[in-house]
Parts: sequence; structure tokens; C-alpha cells
Amino acid sequence: MFLGFVTAGGVVLLVLIFLILAVLIAQSEPAFRAFGLEFLVGTRWDVTRQVYGVIPFVAGTLITSGIALLLGLPLALGAAIFLTTQAPVAFRGPLGTVIDLLAAIPSVVYGFWGLLVLAPFMRTTADPALQRYLGWTGAFGGTATGTGVLTAGVVLAIMVIPTISAISRETLAAVPASQREAALSLGATSWETTRVASLPYARAGIFGATVLGLGRALGETMAVTMTIGNHDAVPTSLFSQGQSIASLIANELVNNTGPLQYSAIIEAGLILLMISLLVNVGARLLLWRVTGSVGSEAPR
Amino acid sequence: MSSTGATSPSSETIERKRSRAPLYAVVAIVVVIVIVVAGFYAGWFKSASSASSGNCAPPTGVTIIGAGSTLVYPLMFQWETVFGGGTTVNYASVGSSAGITDISAKTVDFGASDAPLNPAQRATAAGVLTIPESAGGVVPIYNLPGVGTLNFNGTVLADIYLGTISYWNSPALAALNPDASLPDQPIQVVYRSDGSGTTFIWTSYLSLEDATFASQIGKGTQVDWPVGSGEPKNAGVAGYVQETPYTIGYVDLNYALNGGIQFGRVENPQGNFILASVNNTASALRDANPTLPAGNGDWYNVSVLNAPGLYDYPITSLTYILVYQDLSGAYGSSFSLNQAKALVDFLYWMVTTGQTYSAELYYVPLPPSVVANSEASIGSITFNGATVPNSCGSSV
Amino acid sequence: MMARHLRRKLWSHALTALMGLCVIVVLIPFASIVYEAASIGGPVLSPTLFTAGLPAPCSPVNGVVCPVGGIGPALQGTLILIGLAALISVPIGLAAAIVASEYRGRFLGLAISFVADVLTGLPSIIAGVFIYAYFVIYYPSIVYSTITGALALSVIMIPIVTRTTEVALRTVPQELREAALALGIPKWRTTLQIVVATALPAILTGILLAVMRASGEAAPLLFTAFGSRLGFTGLTNPIEALPLMIYNFAESGWHNWIQLAWAGALVLILLILVTSLLSRWTIQRMVRRMRGG
Repeated sequence: MFLGFVTAGGVVLLVLIFLILAVLIAQSEPAFRAFGLEFLVGTRWDVTRQVYGVIPFVAGTLITSGIALLLGLPLALGAAIFLTTQAPVAFRGPLGTVIDLLAAIPSVVYGFWGLLVLAPFMRTTADPALQRYLGWTGAFGGTATGTGVLTAGVVLAIMVIPTISAISRETLAAVPASQREAALSLGATSWETTRVASLPYARAGIFGATVLGLGRALGETMAVTMTIGNHDAVPTSLFSQGQSIASLIANELVNNTGPLQYSAIIEAGLILLMISLLVNVGARLLLWRVTGSVGSEAPR
Repeated sequence: MSSTGATSPSSETIERKRSRAPLYAVVAIVVVIVIVVAGFYAGWFKSASSASSGNCAPPTGVTIIGAGSTLVYPLMFQWETVFGGGTTVNYASVGSSAGITDISAKTVDFGASDAPLNPAQRATAAGVLTIPESAGGVVPIYNLPGVGTLNFNGTVLADIYLGTISYWNSPALAALNPDASLPDQPIQVVYRSDGSGTTFIWTSYLSLEDATFASQIGKGTQVDWPVGSGEPKNAGVAGYVQETPYTIGYVDLNYALNGGIQFGRVENPQGNFILASVNNTASALRDANPTLPAGNGDWYNVSVLNAPGLYDYPITSLTYILVYQDLSGAYGSSFSLNQAKALVDFLYWMVTTGQTYSAELYYVPLPPSVVANSEASIGSITFNGATVPNSCGSSV
Repeated sequence: MMARHLRRKLWSHALTALMGLCVIVVLIPFASIVYEAASIGGPVLSPTLFTAGLPAPCSPVNGVVCPVGGIGPALQGTLILIGLAALISVPIGLAAAIVASEYRGRFLGLAISFVADVLTGLPSIIAGVFIYAYFVIYYPSIVYSTITGALALSVIMIPIVTRTTEVALRTVPQELREAALALGIPKWRTTLQIVVATALPAILTGILLAVMRASGEAAPLLFTAFGSRLGFTGLTNPIEALPLMIYNFAESGWHNWIQLAWAGALVLILLILVTSLLSRWTIQRMVRRMRGG
């Protein structure tokens, strides 16, 4: 009886993932039938001519997540190392807690802040500076309007920092004291100790944390929708407006112009699901391997 | 939490000393929920409203769900707040295309759209009535610090949205505005990111005015814009333009006026530059005097753009309610007679008494000829084969 | 030699300073968010904010005085949705975790651990898409309802409850189970009365985590809960939620709605921070107790 009940609960969980896949696959069928593999390589999302390709949104998703990691990883790691090895002991706990709490702020609040505070700041201050000093790279062309892939990426960076930082801190703290002491006793400076003793030891954990952060960035909807500019085209510069798969869904799933567009959006959702499942499974297998447990995740 | 296999303390210690804090938290949460539910029944959370349904007597305890047009939302908000008599109306402002999708999928009781159903949509949503419930003007809003009211015409607006005019001080704009000091700044085009009836009105007008626009982009609720950034809903475009210098966007007149956003004059076919107002959109609607099809007919080509009056505002449009003619046939047993009565009462009230709320919110009250068409459509709604009478007495 | 040492020392100090700077940079957005929420939303904080209905959209143009209104329906909706979602997800999550932890030799147990792991990484909007796509075909009349909203949130909560409960159950010493079984207590009683009871604080903390996560989600509710200025009017009717209201009001451009959105954000942040701190404090106490016995 009891075994039956708990088994039923377990079965519900297992059925859930199959049901999700089944529903998405069934409803993306019309789009798949219409476009086949063209959908995966199509660079146009043309509602007027009913031609749909997913590349603009895959690009938007990957670029924003890439920016998030590029900006977020060094900051998160720097903060994690500082808080585990350098900061005065009395500060470590409270500051760590505050950074972890950043993960608990709802994404819609980040989006709101991104739209009303960060976007104007980017437009008036950060973007012109980037254009002046890094314009030669070609990545900062066009007009900066505040919203766009760069702004969305910055918001995502802010959102993944707590995730990466929390798990990195945990793995860094798990480095045996003897490792560091050995390095210190050889006359290494505190940075050298971190570099030769702590980082190699925690490398895999940090990598896993990064991929987990990436997973969070890939699937984030509200914050991206509110800051990315919602333009159905492949971004040509970091100031370009774009659209991630998640923001596409938020904007157009119900607000579509016909069944084919709806089906194409569901297919895009299926692709997002695949990407993020792949990333998450990878990260977790890695963390599993390294720590023997999945590690207590930061609350979010 | 890596338990390093350290010897664990005896189970009893854990048992007895386990913290009760989470228990307290759960208890606290339950208490809060109970208070909230109690509060709900005690009448908190109600929007401040003086419930009076005029002369209608809709059934009590019924909720009508609608979704769609953001253009009509402020007026709809007023309507659903004022309409009472025990029937509650719940309208979500999600965009005209969503209104069409929702009524086709039968997830709502009525949809609202500023764009009529196109032939494909009519095929999907068979048996849906198109009922004009209000009208408005779409205006070009912009954010140019220190610049006054600008003149536009259809070609210039089309070129801006095509990207061929990309600077505020371009010769074409300067020619229309010889006295304005136009800044040497790129124009940041803002459009609707969601399927939108406002976009339909805007692109219909630009297609009418500019052949290149018509062939390259065409009219639709969502089109393939060559330039610009998308914002959701009328409110999203309005808010973004208001916040961001050198932008141009398009919203319904009421969003511009209620939000205090600067908008430009548009040249009408008679060569006059008209600053939109309730009066000149109302006169446009009267002068256009469109021939309206029956509720279940094809409305796709109904247009009141470029009305013939000397001082009519050119970008004017009706906005529509979409509702099934045969309610029991469409929804089956999940739809009750009371719901049908409430829906018909609300629709009838909307096109009659409801029109008196239009002007103060900068919408255009429907002219009598249009109201007559709407009333006839509402009168043709059936439930289990019989027409559903409204309880509103004679028309107002 | 000395110079080299000095250089290394300086390098180390510089990097340390840089990493300290990282901490500060990381905290700037947090400070900014709290500042904005408090300075714009703070002034409308009052008891009526929590009970009053959503106001008509309004901007103070031409001397218009806008109604302030409140977030009553949104707060009520969030609590109801979360309550229902917990009612659905907690039993399922607990049951799945018990299978995974107590009967882990079986294939089912392994599969559950893995699937729960995978599902915690599910993009939250996919949960909403899934529920919408399913209901729009089979039950179109309740696509937009409290039920679908709660179900969408459950899809997010179930894997979290399962994961955290499983971890909690695994920390219960094996000897405890063996001792109980040796006394002839049947396995189900051992599981419920000894294993689950011992891990209860950790399990409740896990549930709190799931509740926290779900109460901040707007994406799954876009196509399900739908939003309603009326608050709760029945399980089959649409319902408002705080994050949904923040999203709709934030982009609205109406002055009084943006102000309410900030106020809502402030309330939501406070709500979640308090819950979060509470659960952290509990975990710490628990760990200390278990260590210090």
C-alpha cells in the first residue's frame, strides 16, 4: 500500500517529463512538416510570408548567455575567492549570505530594474563609452537605444553571479586546509596559494557551477523579455535589439498570427528545452562526479 | 552538504532537538492564507467601484472572460469596473492577435481586436461575429527634447518605418517642418513586438499611402520590420518612447493623451495637417460612413482610413468584439445559459450605455449607424437554438 | 631577490584588492534594486496597499490626481496559487523522494533521481507552455484559470521538493533504519515515523525553497493564471499573481501602475528574503545541532 503510494508519486514525476516532451513534439509537428530541417538553419522569422527559421532566437539566446558568463564568471569567481580566502572572517558569512540572497530576487524584478534603471544607464553612459573605446572591434556598431542584447546580457550576468558564486564558494571551502598550508609554508603569496593550491582542486566544481549558471541564463524569460528589445532578427552588433527563444515565447505564443506561427514557436520551445536539458545534465553529471553529491544549491 | 562520515550523534538527540522553526513558518503561512481568504469574503481586494449596470439586470455570480486588444484596454477597464449587477467581467489586455487566437481556441468568452479577422482566421474561427464596440485614432508619438509638435505625412512615416529616412534632420522631414530645429540624431523606430491591431491599423495606413511599403511590408497584425525595436502592448510602446530620446512609435490616441506623450500632426488627403483629437477622429468616422457587413460577414476590408472630411484625422479605425454567434454550439456544456445572458447583457450595455464613457477616456463614441449594426449582431446570438434576450430594456 | 619577492607580494595584494572589488561590484545592482524599490514603492507602503484593489491606469497629466490603489488581488492570488501548487507538488515530491532514497536499489529510484535533477533545470517558461499547450487542446474553457496556474507552478516545484527531500533523507544515518527494522518495525513505518520524521526540518526547508522559487515566477503564469484585477473568483476563473502584476505594470507606462509595480517588487523581495533567511537560519541551527549533539 505505502510502497504503492510512493511509487505512484515517483511515476508521476517520470511521466511528467515524457508528457512535456510529448505535448511539445505533437504541437510542433505542423511547423516541422512545413519547414523540416530548414527551421533549424533559417535566419528569417517572417510573419507576413509565413516563413519561420529559429536562428535569430538561438543567436539571441546564445549571445546573451555568452555575455552573461563572460561578465559574470570573473566577478563571481573573484568574489568567491575573496570571501573564502581573503576577507576578514567576520565578514565572510554575512557577505556570502547577501550574495546568495541575490539569487532569491525574482527574475521579473531584475527585468523591471533592467528596463527602468539599467537600460537608461547603458544608453547614456556605458554604451557611448564602449562605442568610443571598443568601437574598433566592430561589436559595438549601430545606435545604442538602451535595450538590446548587451543590456539583456548584463542583466543575465547579474542574475547568474549568485548561482556561480555560491557553488564556487562551497567547492573552494572544501579545499583541505593542508593544501593551502603546504603552499603557504613554501613561501607562496596568498594569490599564489590560491592559484596553485585552491583553484586546481576546485576546478571541476567551478566548471560545474558555471555550466549551471549558463543553464539559468539560457532559459531566463522575464528579465530578457523586458530588456532585449524584442526584434525578430539576428543581432548584427551588441547594441542590436534581438530576441531569445524564451522572450519569443513570452511575446508571441498566444499573440500569434496563425496556427503555423504557434507551431513554430512551440518547436522553438522544444529546441530551448533540449539545449537547457543538455547543459543541465552535463553540469550535474560533472558535479556528481566531482563531489559525489549534487551539492546543495543556492536558494533561488 | 558533504557528510564526511563523521560519527553521528544518537538518533534520540536529533529527534528531540530538531528545530521547530520551519514548522512555525508553515503555520505562519497557513495563518496568512486563512486571513487572506477570509479577507476576500469580507470584501477586501475589490476595485473601488460603484457597481451600477445602468438599466441592465445581468445574472449574479457569473464571470465573463475576455482578452485581446490593448488599444481598447483603458476603456474596457472602465467598463468592467462600472458594469455590475453581480456579473464580473475579466478582461486581459494581451494584444489583438491573442484576442483572435483566444476566441478561435475558445479559451475566452469574447475576444477584442482592432484588426478584423483575415480570411484564414475566419476559416479557423467559424461562426464568430465581428461587433464594433469603439473607435480610436492611431498617432505617431515621438521623444525629441525641445522640439514642438511635428508635421508628418504618410510617405514620410512609411519611409521612417522602412528605414530609408533614418535621421531626424533628414530633408523630407525638414521640408514638412521648416520651423522646427530638428536634431542630427538617428531615428529610433519602435514598433509592437506582439501581434497587434494597432500595428494592423498603422500598416494599413502606411500601405495605403506608400506603394513601396505596401509591397515590401504590407498590412498585418505583425509584420517583418526592417528596422527598430519591439515593445509589447500599446502601453509598452508608449512607456518606451516616453523614456527614450529620439524614438518614434505609434499608439492609440488615448495612450498619448493620458500619458502626456508628444505626438505629431498627420497630413490628411485634403492636404491639412491634423493633430488628432476625439472630435476629428469622430468626424472621420462619421464622414467615412463605411458600409458595414452583417456580424457574421467578412469585415477584412472595412476601413475608415483617410476619411473625406476637410479636417478629419486620417488614421482612424473601428475596434471590434469577437464573439460566437451560437454559444452553446461553440462551447458545449461548459457554457451555461446564465453565462450567455451575462455576456449578451455586457455586450449590449457596452455598445449603448458604455459609449458614454468613451469621450472622457479619449475614445470615439460609435455613431448611431454603427451602434445599430452592433445591436443587430448582438441580437443574433443564440443559446441552444434560441436567441438570448438582453435584460437592458430599450436602448439608451 | 628582494625585489622579486616584493613584486610577487604586490601582485598578490593587487589581485586581492581586485577580488574585493568584485564583491563590491556584485553588490551594486542589489543596492540599486533595493534603493529603487524603496524610494519609488516605499512611499505607497501602507496597510491599505495590501488590501486595496488594482487602480485604473492613470498618469498625473494636466493636474489629474491618480488613485493609488493596492496590490490586494495580486498578493491574494500569489498566496492562493502557491498554496494550491504546494498541495499538489509536496505529496508527489515527497513520494518520489522516498522511492528514490529508501528504495534506491531499484531502477525506479535511480530514474527518479535523474529525472528530478533534469527537471530542476527546466526553463520556467516551458512549464507554462506545456500546461497551456495541453489544456488548449483538451480543456480550452479552463486554460486561463487558477487551476492551470497552480499546475504550472507545480511543474516547477515538484522537482525541487523531490531533490531537496531526497538529499535530506540521505543524511539520515543508515544505522537508524537498521535499528528500527531490527526491532521488527515494518519498512513503511520505519520510513515515515523514523526516517522522514528525523529529516523533517530539512524537508520543510526544501519545501520553503520550492515555495520561494515559485512565488517569484511570472513566466509560467503568462499563459495560465492570466491575471485578473478581481482577485480570486473561483478555481476555473483567471487569477492575478504578484510577479505577473509587476510584469504587466512595469511595461505599462502609466505612472500609478509603475509605482505599484515597484511597491509589489518591494513586497515580493521582502517576502522572499525573509523566507530565505528563515530557512538558512534553520539549516544552520540544524547543522550545528547535528554536529554538536
